[in-house]
Amino acid sequence: MQELTWGWPIIIYLFLAGMGAGAYTVSASVLLRGGGGFGRKHFQLARYGALLAPIPIIIGTAFLILELGTFMYATEASMYFRWLNLFTTFEVLSPMSWGAWILGLGIIASVVYAYTFLKKEAAPGDEMSSLRRALAWVGVPLGIAIGVYTGVLLGAMPSRPFWNTSILPFLFLVSSLSTGAAGITILKAVFSSGDVEEKNAAMQTAKSAGERDLSDYLLNVSDLLLLGLEVLGIFLLILFAYMMYGDRVDAIAVIMPGGSLFSLFWWGVIVLGVLVPSVIELKYTVPTLLHGRAFIMPRNLELSLATFILLGGLMLRYVVVVAGQITGPVGI
Amino acid sequence: MASDSSKKTLSRRQFLKVGAAAATTAATLPATVASATTKQSIHYAMVIDTRRCIGCHACSVACKTEFEVPLGESRSWVEYVEKGIFPNVRRSFLPRLCNHCDEPDCVDVCPTGATYKIASNGIVDITKDICIGCGYCIQACPYGARFLNPETGTADKCNFCLHRVSEGLVPSCVNTCQGRARIFGDINDPDSEISRVLATNAVSVLRPEMGTKPNVFYIDADHTDERDAERYNTYVRIDTHRRQKRRV
Amino acid sequence: MINRRAFLKLGAISAATGLVTGSILSQARELPHQGGRGFSPTTGQRRRSVPSTCYQCVTRCPNIIYTENDRVVKVEGQPNSIRTEGVMCAKGQGAVNQVNDPDRVLYPMRRVGKRGEGKWKRVSWDEALDELAGRLKTLRDAGTPEKFMFQYGRMKASTSKLVKSVFLGTYGTGTIGNHTSICEGGKWTAHELTWGGHYDNWDFDNTRYVLNFGSNVFEAHTNHIPTSPRLVRAMAERGVKLVTFDVRLSNTAAKSDEWVPVKPGTDLAVILAMCNVVMREDLYEGPGEAFLKFVKVTRRHDATLEEKIVALKEHFAEYTPEWAEQQSGVPAVTIQRIAREFATTHPACLMTYRGAVAHYNGNEAERAAQTLAAITGNIDNPGGRCKAVGAGWSYPHGPKNKPKSRKLKIIDGPPGLAAVPTHHMSHYVMKMIKDGSWGRPDVYMTYKYTPIYANGEVAENVEILKDESLIPFYVNINPFYDESAALADLILPEPTFLERWDWEDMVSPVQIPEYYIRQPAVKPLGETRDFGDVVCDLAERMGMPLGFKSKEEFVRLSCEMTPDVKAVGGFEYMKKNGVYHVPGSKPLYYSYTKEIPAGKYVADGVIYDEDTGVYWNWKKAHHHSESEARAKGYAHTKKAFKAYVGQRIGDKVYQGFKPDALNKSGYFELYSNILEEKGHKPRPTWMAIPEHEKMGPNDLYMTTYKVGVQIHSRSANCKYLTEIYHDNPAWINPKDADKRGISDGDAIRVKSPIGEVETKARLTEAIRPGVIAISHHCGHWQYGRYASGNKSPSGVDTDPDTKRIWWQEEGRDGKGVHPNWIIANAPDPINGQQRWMDTVVQISKV
Repeated sequence: MQELTWGWPIIIYLFLAGMGAGAYTVSASVLLRGGGGFGRKHFQLARYGALLAPIPIIIGTAFLILELGTFMYATEASMYFRWLNLFTTFEVLSPMSWGAWILGLGIIASVVYAYTFLKKEAAPGDEMSSLRRALAWVGVPLGIAIGVYTGVLLGAMPSRPFWNTSILPFLFLVSSLSTGAAGITILKAVFSSGDVEEKNAAMQTAKSAGERDLSDYLLNVSDLLLLGLEVLGIFLLILFAYMMYGDRVDAIAVIMPGGSLFSLFWWGVIVLGVLVPSVIELKYTVPTLLHGRAFIMPRNLELSLATFILLGGLMLRYVVVVAGQITGPVGI
Repeated sequence: MASDSSKKTLSRRQFLKVGAAAATTAATLPATVASATTKQSIHYAMVIDTRRCIGCHACSVACKTEFEVPLGESRSWVEYVEKGIFPNVRRSFLPRLCNHCDEPDCVDVCPTGATYKIASNGIVDITKDICIGCGYCIQACPYGARFLNPETGTADKCNFCLHRVSEGLVPSCVNTCQGRARIFGDINDPDSEISRVLATNAVSVLRPEMGTKPNVFYIDADHTDERDAERYNTYVRIDTHRRQKRRV
Repeated sequence: MINRRAFLKLGAISAATGLVTGSILSQARELPHQGGRGFSPTTGQRRRSVPSTCYQCVTRCPNIIYTENDRVVKVEGQPNSIRTEGVMCAKGQGAVNQVNDPDRVLYPMRRVGKRGEGKWKRVSWDEALDELAGRLKTLRDAGTPEKFMFQYGRMKASTSKLVKSVFLGTYGTGTIGNHTSICEGGKWTAHELTWGGHYDNWDFDNTRYVLNFGSNVFEAHTNHIPTSPRLVRAMAERGVKLVTFDVRLSNTAAKSDEWVPVKPGTDLAVILAMCNVVMREDLYEGPGEAFLKFVKVTRRHDATLEEKIVALKEHFAEYTPEWAEQQSGVPAVTIQRIAREFATTHPACLMTYRGAVAHYNGNEAERAAQTLAAITGNIDNPGGRCKAVGAGWSYPHGPKNKPKSRKLKIIDGPPGLAAVPTHHMSHYVMKMIKDGSWGRPDVYMTYKYTPIYANGEVAENVEILKDESLIPFYVNINPFYDESAALADLILPEPTFLERWDWEDMVSPVQIPEYYIRQPAVKPLGETRDFGDVVCDLAERMGMPLGFKSKEEFVRLSCEMTPDVKAVGGFEYMKKNGVYHVPGSKPLYYSYTKEIPAGKYVADGVIYDEDTGVYWNWKKAHHHSESEARAKGYAHTKKAFKAYVGQRIGDKVYQGFKPDALNKSGYFELYSNILEEKGHKPRPTWMAIPEHEKMGPNDLYMTTYKVGVQIHSRSANCKYLTEIYHDNPAWINPKDADKRGISDGDAIRVKSPIGEVETKARLTEAIRPGVIAISHHCGHWQYGRYASGNKSPSGVDTDPDTKRIWWQEEGRDGKGVHPNWIIANAPDPINGQQRWMDTVVQISKV
């Protein structure tokens, strides 16, 4: 158990697939929630999410295939394609089988969904509109399913007490949505860089809150909520480890003081990935939320924030994947 | 079948089965499960009488050679458990292998069906050509019995020497055991040696709380773990004799 | 779920593997242990099986070798063997790795650089043998055949007869060294002093109690598999109690009902005290008393029973349990209790091995053990300590007119260093060569023997073997490039034991002899040639043909010459079946009670020796006349034991305990006139170990040991064995470690009077405080990649596992340390046995 059957490729896969799925869900939600004004206003936000989503899902899945034994130790060409066996059967009891199909659907849906946004002049009401909305309706549950599945995948085994907890899928889902949102933030910040001055000016001069572009604010508030849920999830994970019997306590010990993953978890995942972004977001969103002030976040800060969230999400996957494998059942 | 499952396993499986039944319309599944279990004509199992085990590793090497198991991996191994304070010290031996569980988690999680339980004799085996080497079963096994074979890129483990058993031979480890500590046979046959031994001895299995219902039974196994050292204020040392220095 | 499994069973796997068929459903329910057949796990094809014989260790168990496509894939026990009942240990099965080792020596190699530099030239057999034959012939023609020294490690039975008796006998050198003194020669000498021949068989099948001094029979023993499973069976099925005295919790001690952690080198004291208890409490009465008839307890051979009892009581009176407690640290009450248990449970078996005998006082420990067994009536009886029974092969003796052999007196150590080194002092050979006072060999040849690694004082061994002025020409015969081969001038590649012929004769645990042969399972790899064939070739080249051309022919002729084997079909039968014992044979016990018919001792040349009561044949003893023989007497005639006929006891003449190496009487000698004349105590007597007498407060005893998955020095190349055991951190009790600030896994320095080694500490409660233990298998610097990480000059890259030697990877366990660097070559003063267990060391944290 101290040897890692699953290493970086799986960690990256869990992270990227979650992030892509999160971006898909966020994008679809933004698109659907909008209806009239909202959707129109935030179409650009949905577009960034849609264009982003398939990329991490596909790259992540490629990493997964790279770590398959039949790929790593392939002795003949056909072995490189052995993973296709995933799609010759459906194994009801295997979360991975569920995951393979869900992920397969997710890739197809997200690619087509992205395609509907591909044209620069894509806009609400264009000829792709109905397909786009249909795929958005698919995307919300599918994205959530992928996020949940990454947790179920790990959580399904009594042999891995660190993972074998009902809160893990929830935690991974929340992290997947927050990293998805962070991904969108980065994309938006990078591609709309030229408009920053203009946008900020517009923000300042807008007569009422209703006229302001709330994309950024919306993203940040959602993110804050997700980070809060993540904290809750982690709190419950640790709390219940101590409320359950031996091997859970033993397993959780690796992230507690004295444990080998203590620093990475508390400084990396919690402080850098959750607390710092939360504090900054609080600082910027509270004035808007409580006093209706304009929401202006410096671009560099916005980028750093999103980067912290992404790093936090990656480190969360790392800590969880590693912790689950270096711990195991107590006794024999 | 479900009635004697441990609660934990039961709930998960029940949940999945209900979900599965609904989703896939496999409405007959529960009934099939029940009847298939009772119909199983042969139920292979092993008893390891650790009183007769002298820790000689003949079984480990028999297995290594039988299957040319690559260095670093083991299908069968012997752990040493040393405990006590001089001069009251005991060393006992715990031979390990796949438990061929009645409720094998490895089979449940396999996404391709490569790992399966042979319905006619209970042996858990792997179809190499179907396995994709995802490692999921390796994670799921609570006994560290599985590994990724670097020669084939697929999951591997003890299969009770199916190729020998199907020719009427005992598994290689049983064949060579110095102390005749290993008894292999059919526990559905009340007259078999293993049935007699199971009926007339106190036996235990490893990690019963995992709900896997192992088919490798031990007589006089020392279930001491390194973590017991503190509890009993004594000295405990486990030697796994494999690449994984800590017991898995 | 089952639905799915059932589906898969029917569909996927039957198609994919072709193994799972209906036969599983219909097969026999009770599976037999019987092996003898093997199948490929990948193809399901039946494997070719060859009945042969293991040679990983000296036990030489009959085996079955399985091959696929002319490659050895598996080794199993021979189910038809009465010795092993089909069991094969880890080491025996690891033989697969011997034959398939990618670092084998594949062709003759001649040194081209400096000795030990590692530069080699591949030469043809013709070239190699022409040179060798030339050198040997020169020596012989010069009348100095003794300057050809031959020394062997693994050589027994047919190879020994062919090489030693026939080839070397015909050539004329008697400078033949063995390795027995680093093994168990001391125990054998003690046997020769007491009951004549060497080797004791422990009859576990019939015993009711087992008392063990220093044997680790469950892990390593010279008759391992024939005895170890039988002891397990006796304990598990008949509740036989096993009590083990050892300084360390060996696996044998661990499985014993009682482990008594005795102070190193004091087993003798405990055994003497047990004799004291038996005599003082009259526990000898019964079988012991009856046996005394055949025991010599006084200088005179014709003492009465009463006199014997008085003498024994007197002799052991001083060795009270309280006295022994002072010496050994074993509580007097424990000694007393175990002595009573042993003496009152009949039959009981007394085991001893190197833990007791590889000491300064080892000879006496073994004689004392013989005494304890004798006075409790547990000698050569069912369930006791029995005289060894092995197959008696006949074999061709080669040319009739062999020269009288000449020898350099370098194999027994300096004169007087040991009183009766009947099994020589092999660990002193290097020192004797260095000294030079008794001559030096011009050609030194070793056969499956590594003088460098196997003896103590490794550094000195290296220095001497490297010195061309001391050893001008060194020939190494070996399947592997070991530490000694690396210093050779010429390496002749020997096939592994899975590729050669032999007949075998090792001791039977059931007292019924078993005949068995070794035959090749595959063709010898590369250009390797059985040394038995090579000596036939060499003999031809020197113009002294042996009368057969190969080992195979020698084995075939032996099969046809041996009546029991010939009767069932000779060579062909043995090739097909591997093993044979005469059906219905009765186990041989009490052989000493066999009466010698008058016709045998009232015969031409046979005379009665008044001093010993021995009938002997003066003609066979090479005397010129009867009067000369009578004047000299049996005891003082050189090698008179070979002329022994029988022992007069009362009014009868018995076979008695026939002498085998010394001119002892036919009695079981607890009083040795031979030792008395050499200035030693005639009866087993306490001897303190000089080094242990002057130990300081920081000194520790160092002991060495063997584990169940390695064989001395010859198995570290077996990857499956070395994967299990490759590292040997020093066992040390936490009490001793704490005093020195040493924690588990710390690097420590172990310093003895002759040097120091660095190793790791293994803190364990399984060792007596005051003792550290370092096993004897590890720390190789040659012997191929699996052993040392070093590829041999003829190594190949065909084995993918050479890339997976995980224990040699950075930060992993490593390959351990060889303790012999710091163990002095020192003999038991009586029998010359190497004193492996007497080293005194200091340790410190690095």
